[in-house]
Amino acid sequence: MKLDLSGLQSFTSIPGGAVDGLGEDIFAAPSFQLPACSDFDGFQKDAIQMVKPAKGTTTLAFIFKEGVIVAADSRASMGGYISSQSVKKIIEINPYMLGTMAGGAADCQFWHRNLGIKCRLHELANKRRISVTGASKLLANILYSYRGMGLSVGTMIAGWDEKGPGLYYVDSEGGRLKGTRFSVGSGSPYAYGVLDSGYRFDMPVEEAAELARRAIYHATFRDGASGGVASVYHVGPDGWKKLSGDDVGELHYKYYPVAPTPVEQEMTDAPAA
Amino acid sequence: MSIFEYNGSAVVAMVGKNCFAIASDRRLGVNLQTIATDFQRIFKIHDKLYIGLSGLATDVQTLYQRLIFRHKLYQLREERDMKPQTFASLVSALLYEKRFGPYFCMPVIAGLGDDDAPFICTMDCIGAKELAKDFVVSGTASESLYGACESMYKPNMEPEELFETISQALLSSVDRDCLSGWGGHVLLVTPTEVQERTLKGRMD
Amino acid sequence: MGDSQYSFSLTTFSPSGKLVQIEHALTAVGSGQTSLGIKASNGVVIATEKKLPSILVDETSVQKIQLMTTNIGVVYSGMGPDSRVLVRKSRKQAQQYFRLYKEAIPVTQLVRETAAVMQEFTQSGGVRPFGVSLLIAGYDDNGPQLYQVDPSGSYFSWKASAMGKNVSNAKTFLEKRYTEDMELDDAVHTAILTLKEGFQGQISGKNIEIGIIGADRKFRVLTPAEIDDYLAEVE
Repeated sequence: MKLDLSGLQSFTSIPGGAVDGLGEDIFAAPSFQLPACSDFDGFQKDAIQMVKPAKGTTTLAFIFKEGVIVAADSRASMGGYISSQSVKKIIEINPYMLGTMAGGAADCQFWHRNLGIKCRLHELANKRRISVTGASKLLANILYSYRGMGLSVGTMIAGWDEKGPGLYYVDSEGGRLKGTRFSVGSGSPYAYGVLDSGYRFDMPVEEAAELARRAIYHATFRDGASGGVASVYHVGPDGWKKLSGDDVGELHYKYYPVAPTPVEQEMTDAPAA
Repeated sequence: MSIFEYNGSAVVAMVGKNCFAIASDRRLGVNLQTIATDFQRIFKIHDKLYIGLSGLATDVQTLYQRLIFRHKLYQLREERDMKPQTFASLVSALLYEKRFGPYFCMPVIAGLGDDDAPFICTMDCIGAKELAKDFVVSGTASESLYGACESMYKPNMEPEELFETISQALLSSVDRDCLSGWGGHVLLVTPTEVQERTLKGRMD
Repeated sequence: MGDSQYSFSLTTFSPSGKLVQIEHALTAVGSGQTSLGIKASNGVVIATEKKLPSILVDETSVQKIQLMTTNIGVVYSGMGPDSRVLVRKSRKQAQQYFRLYKEAIPVTQLVRETAAVMQEFTQSGGVRPFGVSLLIAGYDDNGPQLYQVDPSGSYFSWKASAMGKNVSNAKTFLEKRYTEDMELDDAVHTAILTLKEGFQGQISGKNIEIGIIGADRKFRVLTPAEIDDYLAEVE
């Protein structure tokens, strides 16, 4: 069985493009072989468990006067185990657009790459870059078509288009939200705390970047599943630029320097009742 | 998620030449949320005997209080400190008392016995003793700790080297565990003195 | 209520501040067969008379010295059946201690537990004090030890002690003979001589009992043959 997703395509294939049989595959929406089994739902459940995605993450993005700031941690975990401290969670879709990664690593990477292809094709077909609105909708539509099949994606699409800065939240449940401030992942509540209290629309880039960095740092401190490096990107009229990538292990002691304690300390007895 | 992983923990003890070291992380969490970074998991029983308790924090504190109570009674009754082996048996008996509703703790016991011979052992939550000559580990980071200790441990280390080894083993292990870390706490015990140190570690 | 109107309940003091039942228990001990113990530099010996009510009794079936643990032995003066209750309780205590700590109970601890039981029987309702005094001999990390426990529950550590009939004679004898650096063999000889002092009839391996414990920490009751050998040495 093959899912027919041609209806989701945002453009019609180029006339005459599908002569050699090669072009067709490129332009077609990705489709997947479904398992041929009687209990599809049961199989699906088991399969989802097997590729149980790394959930712990902190990502954030916000729009301000000078564009969009996108930031993320870099930890990948499997249950309690930290499988990597150097994951790239900010995906560079094209020079003007970034996506963030939360949820399943494979799902995010695959569908962002797929989105990148579509965006490029759109650019070629229409002689102008795709809007953030359009790109996010492409992704949201694809994810919606797989709804209930176990995809795990929580992403923000941030970029700069003809209308200026754009920011959307898209997830694998089919949700798509436009906004000026988002944070996604297990560390998001902590990041929101810092972000909301420090946010001003007319910040300079440096202050915005520092706010994002602080928010990520605080999230990594409180959230066991977030950590590693706090990367900060800025997207302006000339495209995105990576501003910093700080090891939060060092960031902590920068924010909270510790006075060296005397080496010897006596252990105190249990306080008397 | 297992109740043993609710708070997160890492405890390790190592034997050196006429000395031992016991170390733990300092995190107290609720699942993935870090609540405190100054939690105590290593407790003094007497000058040459310490216990580290991994697992559920509330049980750690309750068990510690019961052990202190029992040891103080023993001191009053017998006018002496407990030998590490004897204390291990006591812990084991107290744990098995709760066979069908256990304390969700896994103890690590380390002490200097007669002639200052180092003794280390660990247990499961219902008191099955496991003695070791080199090192024992416990907690959510136990797998990484096994790996780290297995590769870094050498027999008959002098106190300074032992401290360095156990600290590095602890810090590198908790860096692979979401639920433990946020600093470390090391006790180095020799026949003549006890050194207590707090380790700076990654705070994520 | 023969002797006193205050003996109806042992938990009641007489106006002079005595618990009369305990006095009676001590009297029972005082009229019991003589037992004695000597702590030597490298061990302890306890010994007792074993006078049987009739020559028809099979003397091999009577054991007055018993083991509480492998390294602690006990002998009594007074009522045999009472002593067996105490020994049973003490053995149980020793095993419980071992179960908890995987370590042999120290002599002091066992003595304390035993004394606590005896005290309890001077204060509880519906019971009477034990009609025995015990001599407990053991060897542990603190070296050789000898304790005497009385019906009141009081206990003392002794270098040498005696109880039962002839206490005062026996104690006087021990006071004369005891030296600090005495070795176990000397102590056995002294014990035999002390028993011999007040002994009615011919002493032999069959009518006395001797228990010893040395640095090997194994308490052992001597066989009649061994006792006879010692007796020959003393002659």
